[in-house]
Amino acid sequence: MSLLELDGIKKHFGPVQVLLGVDLKIDAGEVVALVGDNGAGKSTLMKIITGIHKPDGGTIRFDGTDISGHSPGEIRERGIEMIYQDLALARMQDVASNIFLGREPTRRLLGTPIRMIDRARIEQEAEAMIRKLGARVPSVRHPVGKLSGGQQQSVAIARALTFNPKLVIMDEPTAALAVREVEHVLDLIRELKRQEIAVILISHRLTDVFAVCDRVVALRHGRVVSDEHIAQTSMNTVVAHIVGAA
Amino acid sequence: MATNDSSTAAAAGPQSGLRAMRFSVRLESLLVLAVLVVALSILSPYFLSVSNFLNILLATAVIGILGFGATFVIAAAGIDLSLGSVLALSGVLGALSVNALDLPWPVAIVTCLAVGAFCGLINGLLNAKAGIPAFIVTLGMLGVARGLGLVFTNGQPVYGMPDPIVFLGQGRPFGVPMPVFVFIAVAIVAHFVLAYTRFGKYAQVIGDNETAARAMGIRVDRHRIALYMVSGTLAGVAGLLFLARVNAGDPTAGLNYELTAITAAILGGTNLFGGRASVLGTLIGALVMGVLQNGLNLLAVSSFYQQMAIGAVLVLAVWLDQVNRARGQR
Amino acid sequence: MRIKTIATGMSAALLAAMLATPAIAQDKPVFGVLLKTLSNPFWGAMEQGIEDGTKEANVEYFLQAVESDQAAEPQLNTCNTMLQRKPAVMITAAINSTILLPCLKQATEMGIPVVDLDANLDHDIAEKAGVKIAFTIGSDNTEAGAKGADFMAEHLKGKKGSVLVIEGLAGNITGQKRAKGFADRLAKVAPDLKIVASLPGDWDRQKAANITNDTLTANPDLVGIFCANDTMALGAVESVYAAGKGGEIAVIGVDGNTDAVKSIKAGRLTASVAQLPYLVGKQAVEKAKTLLEGGEVKKFTYVDTLVLTKEVMEAGTDPNLQYVK
Repeated sequence: MSLLELDGIKKHFGPVQVLLGVDLKIDAGEVVALVGDNGAGKSTLMKIITGIHKPDGGTIRFDGTDISGHSPGEIRERGIEMIYQDLALARMQDVASNIFLGREPTRRLLGTPIRMIDRARIEQEAEAMIRKLGARVPSVRHPVGKLSGGQQQSVAIARALTFNPKLVIMDEPTAALAVREVEHVLDLIRELKRQEIAVILISHRLTDVFAVCDRVVALRHGRVVSDEHIAQTSMNTVVAHIVGAA
Repeated sequence: MATNDSSTAAAAGPQSGLRAMRFSVRLESLLVLAVLVVALSILSPYFLSVSNFLNILLATAVIGILGFGATFVIAAAGIDLSLGSVLALSGVLGALSVNALDLPWPVAIVTCLAVGAFCGLINGLLNAKAGIPAFIVTLGMLGVARGLGLVFTNGQPVYGMPDPIVFLGQGRPFGVPMPVFVFIAVAIVAHFVLAYTRFGKYAQVIGDNETAARAMGIRVDRHRIALYMVSGTLAGVAGLLFLARVNAGDPTAGLNYELTAITAAILGGTNLFGGRASVLGTLIGALVMGVLQNGLNLLAVSSFYQQMAIGAVLVLAVWLDQVNRARGQR
Repeated sequence: MRIKTIATGMSAALLAAMLATPAIAQDKPVFGVLLKTLSNPFWGAMEQGIEDGTKEANVEYFLQAVESDQAAEPQLNTCNTMLQRKPAVMITAAINSTILLPCLKQATEMGIPVVDLDANLDHDIAEKAGVKIAFTIGSDNTEAGAKGADFMAEHLKGKKGSVLVIEGLAGNITGQKRAKGFADRLAKVAPDLKIVASLPGDWDRQKAANITNDTLTANPDLVGIFCANDTMALGAVESVYAAGKGGEIAVIGVDGNTDAVKSIKAGRLTASVAQLPYLVGKQAVEKAKTLLEGGEVKKFTYVDTLVLTKEVMEAGTDPNLQYVK
């Protein structure tokens, strides 16, 4: 049984059909690239997996459970994390708060049933995570909006990895990065694979895809048009699938 | 993954950063407040006295509590323009419950809070579920609540409250007016909730980046509704204090108070567009206005100049804040 | 940042110092005067009367008002602040009958006599709240309405027809008293004039004009309009002229404000029942002085009103004319 199974996922916004029945399976520890032209439906598909959009048809099974229609919070609870292209950070909040966003540990106030956020624990664990990732961040108390783009991405990554996810979705994680930072992200994906964490990588950069992925899935006009192992395909073939020339 | 020691930073600052972060929210307004106090002490022989300070706190209580309500809503990039009208409606219905219906006095308290919470619920539902912009929804409530208050009372104050309610407004245990106790208690609770609980944190995250809040599993709509209920309930508390203080439910009470309340919040460093908010800051903001008003009254400055002075202080304090933040960013 | 902040504070303080009234000499009694608002000619005239009154009575005073005649709680706060200066007398024009009671109760406890300026307090309620009102002084609004009725009856003698009453803001006691005073008296003195409508004009010129238009349509035999203030009367008169009935319909207002006086002189507005806030203010101070010196003062004083018409102004003989601004 696969970790994630999408079966006939459909979605339309008003009269626009975005997804016309997408089937996709991903195993634990597998790194799958999702490629396709702008408007092919990649982001919508991912937002359906993470619960932000509700599918109009089809089912999503994750780890043996039907999660179609679950809320984003419940889906994160089950072990699916996504690193958004815009990073989805709260820029006025500090690094530690962002890493624990939506999952803040609490403690009792003076033994009463009133619960307050456990700041000390959040800072301690956020710091540990940042250190583990080897990210350069001035302080976990620094507002995220004042960090550089690369630092902000580190925070988004730290947030995705802090709660032992089983599947991490990355939307164009290398698009805005310098060469050295790209290598860092690719290393990270290899590390996740080693830890048996599945990854869906959305990317336009086929060199990155061929560097780290096991499979490449091409989406075109809301349908899966190809699903091939990296070893059995080539960049030219993938490009052909993307533009519909194959 | 690559871990090299030189790149691990995230060092704890020398000072206890948590505290420093939370309380430096608005050093500017605190300084403005201090300077005002010093200046007025020199300018007026009547200013520097315990009874006058209690006077200031008493005069600030209603606006301050409304300001806390405004702070919660603004934190989430919302706005509540109905605060003053809801204050009046809850006060009027609270007064009628014990005056016309002759119910026991605790009913007045419950009524005030319940009416406030209910108005907030309607605001929240229309905003979060029906998707009508907060500005429009609460502007509508401003009119509806004010009108209802006038309808229920035929435009006349409902005079005469039971003794315990009057005590709540006019009693002075240990020489301190009761509304001051209520004010301080509400300030402590509101500050705790906004700064230290998930509820308060999420309000600010929603105001900061709503999409991110949704993606991270925060139930944004539900949270919004709850925030409008908080501001409505606080308007109810303010309505109760007003009612108790003047021993009458006044349908014209709190006219334009929403603007003063929002001013207090902004003066205290809360970002008008959400994401950053502080109850403590709002308290200081309200006090800056209260002290200024009191001082100008003591100096017998015409009411026309008073409004100018408050407007000028607001712009100055926010400007100082921006100068300061711009410097911090470099 | 720190330096700038301090500079800001200092300039605020300086501003305050510049605006402050000159220090008060402590040897004379100091009267505290709390008005509703200054952004209205009625209260401006009242303030003038108070100023002249204090000069003649040789007392000091400090005067406060709030930003609008709806700012109830700010008025209460201002009242409390004024007590910090321990005035010899508190002369207050309360925004409504209840708002100032907690403050005036404190004044009573401090032994400060309370003067009810412009008759806004209810003596029974005030007494229950522990407030001792030394005396009430103001204009009798019921009587102002009645005078309007007397004038209309005289002016339209021998005519029959409909009369329109335009009230003030719905629920406002002043407007109610004027309208009722008018209606009650008119029923007595002019049985041939029938009030066909009594509608709230909300003190608004435009609204009064609209009401007049609508009523003219429904009642072509309209011969008189009484408005609870001049602003509304000026609106009504415009509608009358627009309908081509200028000069045929008697339009009467209350207040005697500057615009009304101009309109009467120009022959458009028929009359205005002028209240004399200047005299109210002046006499309030005089009587308070008497009280302080141990003299007797009546509980209620109603200052005279004056029906302003073109004839009265052209004759210029009425002694009260000097108080009409």
